Amino acid sequence: MTWRIALQLVLSGLSVGSIYAIVALALAIPFKASRVLNFAQGELVTLGAYIGLVLTSYGLPYAAMVPATLLVAAAFGILIERLFIRPIVDAPEFTLVIATFAIGIIIRALVRIHWQDNTFFLPAPYSGPALPVGPLRVNPSYLVIIGSTTLLVALLVLFFRQTRYGKAMRAVAFNQTAARLMGIGVGRVFGSAWALAAAIGALAGLLLAPVIGINPELGHLMLKALVAAVIGGFGSLGGAAFGGLLLGVLETYAGALFGAAFKEIIPFGILIAFLLVRPQGLWGPTQARV
Amino acid sequence: MRVGLAAIAIVAAFALALPLIGTSYQVYLAELILINIVAAVGLNLLTGNCGQISLCHASLMAIGAYATALFTARLAVTYIVALPIGVIVTTLLGASLGYPARRLSGLYLALVTLGFLEVVSIVIEEFPDVTGGVRGLSLVKPDFIGLRLNAEAIYYFVLGMTALATYAGWNIQRSRYGRAFNAVRQSAVVAQALAIPPGRIKLVAFSIAAAFAGLAGGLFTAVVGFIDPTEFDISASLRQITFIAVGGLGSVLGSVVGAVMLTLLPEVLRGAKEYSDVVYGAILLGALVVAPKGIVGSLGSLFGRNERKARQP
Repeated sequence: MTWRIALQLVLSGLSVGSIYAIVALALAIPFKASRVLNFAQGELVTLGAYIGLVLTSYGLPYAAMVPATLLVAAAFGILIERLFIRPIVDAPEFTLVIATFAIGIIIRALVRIHWQDNTFFLPAPYSGPALPVGPLRVNPSYLVIIGSTTLLVALLVLFFRQTRYGKAMRAVAFNQTAARLMGIGVGRVFGSAWALAAAIGALAGLLLAPVIGINPELGHLMLKALVAAVIGGFGSLGGAAFGGLLLGVLETYAGALFGAAFKEIIPFGILIAFLLVRPQGLWGPTQARV
Repeated sequence: MRVGLAAIAIVAAFALALPLIGTSYQVYLAELILINIVAAVGLNLLTGNCGQISLCHASLMAIGAYATALFTARLAVTYIVALPIGVIVTTLLGASLGYPARRLSGLYLALVTLGFLEVVSIVIEEFPDVTGGVRGLSLVKPDFIGLRLNAEAIYYFVLGMTALATYAGWNIQRSRYGRAFNAVRQSAVVAQALAIPPGRIKLVAFSIAAAFAGLAGGLFTAVVGFIDPTEFDISASLRQITFIAVGGLGSVLGSVVGAVMLTLLPEVLRGAKEYSDVVYGAILLGALVVAPKGIVGSLGSLFGRNERKARQP
C-alpha cells in the first residue's frame, strides 16, 4: 500500500466517521440530559432526510430547505418526547430501551408505507465530480461532511460550556432535583434536548442524502453511531465525535486490508470488547457495577 | 386452581382436535403460535424473572434453526437427533454470551445483545456456502430415523414439545432457580446478601433462555421448510419482547397469552398487512406506557388475586 492510498483511505474513513460522529452526538444529548438512550435516533436521521425531500418537492431552494428541515425535525423531537418519553421517563431502563425501539419501528414502517423501498437522491449544490487536493482526489460532499461535523462539535461544546441553556442542561443531567430547586424547568430541558437531537439527526440525513441516497433503511447506521458513543463514553461529546472518527477509519482500513466481511464485523467486535472491558468508554464517568 | 385445570383441559382438547377440524393453514398458524410460545417462555424467564434485557433472542433462535438445518441437510443426521444437537449448540453459545454479559445490566446489556444480534446476522450473510446467505436455506422435510412425517405428525410433535417446554418453564420458575431469578431482578445486592450469586444466576438464566430459543428454532425448521436471516432480525427480537411485555412479564401464562394473541393479530388485520409493523410497535409502546404489568398482571390485580409481584426489571 503506497502512502497515497493510505492517505486516501484515511480521508474516506474520516468522512464516513464524521457521519457516525454526528449521529453519536445526537445520541449523547438526550442521554446527557435525561439518561435516556434513544434507540430511535437512526429513524430520526431517516425522517430528516425525507422531510428534506418533501420540502424540496414543494420548491424550496436548498439554502432555505436545510434550516426548515432542521426546524420541522426539532418539532418532531419535541412531539415524541412530550407524547411518549415524558410519561415513562422514571420507568426502569428496560421500558425506555424497548419504548424508543418501538418508536423507531413505527417511524420506519410509516416511512416505508408511504415511500416504499425506493431510493431517492437529493442533490446538493455542492455535489459534483471529485476535486484534486494535492496528490489526492476528494469528493466535495466528503469535505462538506467533515467540515459540518467539526463545526457542529465546536458549536455544541460552546453551547454546553458558555450558554445559560447549555449549563441548565448539564445541571439537569447532574442532579434533577437540585436543578429543579434552582428554578430550572426540567421538563423543558428534556424537550429541548430531544429537539436538538432530532435536528442533528436530520442534519446527518441531509448530509448523507447526496452521497448514498434516501431509503427507509438509512437509520441502520445508528448501530455504528452506538459503537462510536460506546468508544467515546456515553454523554461525552468530544468522546462521541472521536469514537465516530476512529470507527470510520478503522472500518475503512479493515475493509481495504481484510475484505468486506471483516469490515462489517469489526464495529460489533469493538462494541462487545469495549462493553466487556471498559463499558464507560474512553472518557465516560466511571460507575459502580454490581 | 380448579378453574385453571379446567381451562388447561379445554385448551388441550382444542389443540389436540385442531388437525381434525381445521384447515391446513390453520394448523400451520397453530404451529407458529406454539413455536412463539416456546421462545416467549424462555425469554420471559430471562427478562421477566431475572430482569436481563436481551435483544438477541431471535438470533439465538436463528442459531438453533441453522444448527438443526445444517445437521439434517448437510450431514444427513435424522431430525430427532439433530433437534437436541441444535438445542445444545444454542445453549452453549447462549452461555458463552451470558458468561461475559453477566457483569452488565440495563443499557449496556442491551447494547451487547444488540451487537451479538448483528454479528450473528453478518456471519449468516457472509458465509453463503454454509448457510445459504441472504438467499436462505431450503430444508428437507423432517424424518424420524427414515420415517417420513406427514403434516399432522409434525403438528403433534410440535404440540408435544411445546407442552413439555411450557411445563418445564413453569417448573423452573417455581424452583430454587426461579426464585433466585426474581431475587436478582429485584436487587442484586440483596440477593448476594442471601448467598445467591447474581453472576452465576444470570449465566443460568441466559443458558436456559438460549435453550428455549434453540428449541423454538429447531421446531421452526420442521414447520416452515425454509429459513433466511430476515426471519431472525431485530424486529423478530422485538416481536418476542412484545409477546412477554403485552402478556405479562415474569409469568408463564403471560408468555402464552401474549404469544397466542400477537401471532393471531396479523391474521385479524389481514387487510392491513403493511401496517403490521406499525400496529406491533404501537401495541408494544401502548403496553409499556399504559399497562406495564401486561394483560395477565393487570387482570390479576383487577380480580385482587395475590399474584407474585410482576415488577418490571
